[in-house]
Amino acid sequence: MGRYIGRRLLLSLVTLWLLATIVFIIANVLPNDIGRTILGPFAPQESVDALNEKLGTNRPILVQYVDSMFGIVTLDFGDSYITSQPVLPQLVDAIGRSSKLAGLALLITIPLAIVAGLFAARRRDRPADRAIVLLGVTSSSIPEFVTGTILVVVVGVHFHLLPVLATPPPGADVPTQIRYLLMPATAMAIVYFGYIARMTRAGTIDVLQSDYARTATMKGLTTSQMMRHHVLRNALIPTVAVIAVQIGYLFGGIIAVEKIFNYNGMGQTMLFAAQRKDIPMLTAGAIVIGIVYMLATLGADLIIAWMNPRIRLDAER
Amino acid sequence: MDYPKLDKIRGTTTPLQLDVVESFARGRLSRREFIQRGAIVGLSMASISAVIAACSSSTPGASGAAPTTGASSGASAAPPVAGGTIRVAAQRPSGPLDPILMQDLGSYGTTAMVFEFLCTSDPSQPLVALAPGLATKWTPNDTGNVWTFDLRQGVKWQDGTDFSSADVVATMERLVTSGNSGLKGVLAAGGAVATDANTVTFNLVTANGNFPYLVSVFNAQTLITPVAFTTGTTLDQKPNGTGAWKLTKYNQASGATFARNDAWWGTSTPLDTVEWIYFDATGPMVTAYQGGQVDVIIQFDILSGKSLLDDPNFNSVALQAALHRQIWMRTDKGQFVDKRVRQALALTFDRPALIQTLFQGKADLGNDHVIAPVYPYFDPSVPQRAQNIDMAKQLLSDAGATGLSATLHCGQILEIPDLATLLKSQAEQAGINLTVAVESLDTFYGAQWCPAAPADPPCSGSAELGIVDYGHRATPDVYLNSALSTKGVWNASQYSSAAYDAAFKEFQTSVGVDAQKTACGKIETILNDDVPIGVPYFYNFLSGSSKQFTGFYSSGLGQAFFATASKVA
Amino acid sequence: MDVTVTPEDVLSQASAPNSERAKARRETIRVLIRRPAFFIGVVIMVGWIVTAILGQRITPYDPFNDFDTGQLPPSLTHLMGTDRLGRDVLSRVMVGSRDVLIIAPLAALLGVVAGTLLGLVMGYYHGVVDDVISRVVEAFLALPVILVALLTLVVLGTSPIVVISVVGILFTPIVARTVRSAVLSERQLDYVTAAKLRGESGPFILSREIFPNVVGPTVVELTVRFGYAIFTVATLSFLGVGIQPPSPDWGLTVSQEYNNMISGVWWPTLFPALAIASMVIAVNLIADSLQSVMSE
Repeated sequence: MGRYIGRRLLLSLVTLWLLATIVFIIANVLPNDIGRTILGPFAPQESVDALNEKLGTNRPILVQYVDSMFGIVTLDFGDSYITSQPVLPQLVDAIGRSSKLAGLALLITIPLAIVAGLFAARRRDRPADRAIVLLGVTSSSIPEFVTGTILVVVVGVHFHLLPVLATPPPGADVPTQIRYLLMPATAMAIVYFGYIARMTRAGTIDVLQSDYARTATMKGLTTSQMMRHHVLRNALIPTVAVIAVQIGYLFGGIIAVEKIFNYNGMGQTMLFAAQRKDIPMLTAGAIVIGIVYMLATLGADLIIAWMNPRIRLDAER
Repeated sequence: MDYPKLDKIRGTTTPLQLDVVESFARGRLSRREFIQRGAIVGLSMASISAVIAACSSSTPGASGAAPTTGASSGASAAPPVAGGTIRVAAQRPSGPLDPILMQDLGSYGTTAMVFEFLCTSDPSQPLVALAPGLATKWTPNDTGNVWTFDLRQGVKWQDGTDFSSADVVATMERLVTSGNSGLKGVLAAGGAVATDANTVTFNLVTANGNFPYLVSVFNAQTLITPVAFTTGTTLDQKPNGTGAWKLTKYNQASGATFARNDAWWGTSTPLDTVEWIYFDATGPMVTAYQGGQVDVIIQFDILSGKSLLDDPNFNSVALQAALHRQIWMRTDKGQFVDKRVRQALALTFDRPALIQTLFQGKADLGNDHVIAPVYPYFDPSVPQRAQNIDMAKQLLSDAGATGLSATLHCGQILEIPDLATLLKSQAEQAGINLTVAVESLDTFYGAQWCPAAPADPPCSGSAELGIVDYGHRATPDVYLNSALSTKGVWNASQYSSAAYDAAFKEFQTSVGVDAQKTACGKIETILNDDVPIGVPYFYNFLSGSSKQFTGFYSSGLGQAFFATASKVA
Repeated sequence: MDVTVTPEDVLSQASAPNSERAKARRETIRVLIRRPAFFIGVVIMVGWIVTAILGQRITPYDPFNDFDTGQLPPSLTHLMGTDRLGRDVLSRVMVGSRDVLIIAPLAALLGVVAGTLLGLVMGYYHGVVDDVISRVVEAFLALPVILVALLTLVVLGTSPIVVISVVGILFTPIVARTVRSAVLSERQLDYVTAAKLRGESGPFILSREIFPNVVGPTVVELTVRFGYAIFTVATLSFLGVGIQPPSPDWGLTVSQEYNNMISGVWWPTLFPALAIASMVIAVNLIADSLQSVMSE
């Protein structure tokens, strides 16, 4: 197990370096005159030159690359072009807020989706299964911004049931925070429900068809006993993988939701930075999200290895 | 007319001021215009009211028109309730809160809560008229190239030190050094001199009848900062202003909190706290208001805020403004070189329909020139161009341009893509085939409107037809100079007319109201005939608050004033 | 979104000997059309494609230049009401599929073609080539699609070509990973070994021997990516960096109209939103059916 973790970690570091390079390349396709882009077409040239000098954006591209890679190693992602403050604390705040939102979305969706998936698998090809599959396909097909807007109008504006802005007042207690986050989290949860439910269903069906499940049935175990003892563990493996992958996706899909609910999380921060060409913020954001994603997949791999020793042994061989 | 009283005032005024007083006394200026012009040339409020009183027996046409809905309505209402917090939806600052280098409405608004200007905006016409701020009085010399500002006495910085002329001079030096675009060519280094602790004299490079505008709310960087301040210092680093509010918390991601400054020089301020919440777009502001999470929206656009206009609990304020769109047509090459083709396109505009569809009627008709009806020197005598498809067709066939086909470029902002869609369909009626090309603002400005290259003359790489947005200015100088004069920096139509340039020069150098109005009449006539730009409308500036609050007003440049704002009993 | 098809399921069927392939394919299609989900999906898709092609010829009003009173609620004259400028919502919804039906399939196709090539190379050559490309692919997969698309579109400026390229390129690694694992299990089979012994070149084996046997997962991947492409392009349009006005595109229309929902004008937003949903659902129904039929 130790060697397995070590190998996975090492690979993750390589991936991280590549990721940072990709982001750097994308960001530097930009027109060279960062100062002009930030200050806009109406600013006097002197201010633009001064800003470029201050930001160091008039240096050769390789120098900037080495500088930025070195910065990542020392956890120094630079200062925001817009606020002149270090980007990391701002990002940490934003990630914290987004995690609350994403966490609540997952909390709503995971139990529901797993139960629905297991239920569908046990009634394979019967109306209940068909309905759940259809519901899954449908729910994962509707973009978050569509469900989000509909929720705002119906729940927020028409019935006044929940606040239409997701940001809770400062110092709010946990129930209040949940109340504020409930609508955006629901908009996100609906999309993930489909994926997770379908993955659970597929995993369960695979296991139910496997030889050892048949043996277990022949040994006279009831379906529910078998589900508990054998199926659940193995069937959840693909589900765990999907949830891990979804964590990366959560941060992409969150942009539209945060825009609608004016919630200052990662999505809004990134959208804001993109609109204002705040390159350090964008690069740092993409890298931080990459790290979160890799940690999530790493965690998922470890859980899978723990659930299914065969995979672990495979990897160590 | 109370002549003895009027004569007494006449005796104490400078020639510039006298000209304004005379214009009013003879009925050439409405009361509203008089207050506005009077304040610019430095007539004190006392003198202005004295003149109005003296002339009140006979002031034909002096309507004293108030803004469309009551910005000032709060003042007359029930006595203010003391205490409370007002929550304000504002645009997010897009950069550091550096009063000298800031470039966006979000920063303008936030900094102006704490710092103040020499001249502030007049609550009765907050978009075009000046009122005393840190200066109580300003007077030009006879030629208008030396202005003397009397400073308010007993003003203290929030750290307790005294405000004095040294602060003003230091601020002006910083502005000039950093190349403030408004003061460029008007005030040079060393131009501002402290005569004594409470007087500053400005020796200008050239005469300028509108100089007070350049050290007012309408030149947003001219906030007076302490003598020890430096360029690059931000408000949140050194929150030490003279204003009615103290910054207690600032976070660009969420908002700013201000507490009442009890040592402020003005009248006592009812509210305890003003809380600014930042937004990146109007849509969420409106949602937030509807959801009861903000009380005031400093500025909103009709596209996303239409619902506010019908909201019975929202007090929306629509102020006449110079906000407009220019549909530029290249006059030097391409299909629009012939004046008749440009006139034909302008004749296809169904202006009233555009105003109705895009602004719910909250706009003034444009007449293909930039002198907005809100300006006191607007000359209404130039005939209004209306839709005339037959004449457009005739002009096109005269010019041999039947079957004209062109691309209409525009940026992705506010109603402009919708305007382009409507213009395309209106032009089609006269057989003009327009293709609408909408691009992101950056691309549009950089590739279609005023590409950086070729640089001489500026904008010579612009597209042959496009729509560009212009914000509100308290005076039309920028529009006239940058967009229309020969080699102007934003002259996308490459318009070059000796007659126009002469008329513009006449406007700039004329200091009397009559003279300015005459010059504007010429400008309007020339532009209306040449049509280098089509201007279909000047739309209203919209802001507003929940009816639970009263007494707030906004300048049109992001700044909002809460000193007299209070909760309704 | 990077949920991938598990190719192993699909493979058992696809690796049938060449002679039986055509027969198996006919059988697959026969089973497919019997599935109601597949049938519904195809009907909806064909419906949208037909309206997109016929366009203005079948809309009740001119979707671009016919201006009635703005924001009329749905009625017999305007079945879906009118939008903020007074245009007929139904007519605009009918032509609104056109841009997305050009952009999304092209983006999906680009992603699948590039991903398949990459996957074939990675799977077949294994070793160092595979290791290196795999790392890059992993790095790409760690980036959320919408965020990177947003960043790139802001940097490069928006145009249909850029949207297609960006979405296509972002899909490439996902497809590559799927195809790679399909190839990995193929290359150990006898027919590949036989070809190698015959002295065939790598490109020949890849294109003539292995590729026909991974067509199955590739086709499934194409349908799945098509669904995601519609979803992604609609979201990008909503964020203002996708399809640009004056297109009647659905995602764009939602972003332009959603502010008015608060004042009760829900119809210009709801109908395009439902249209997006119906199209993605249709594609996903087709993809889902393909996937499960092929794995049977």
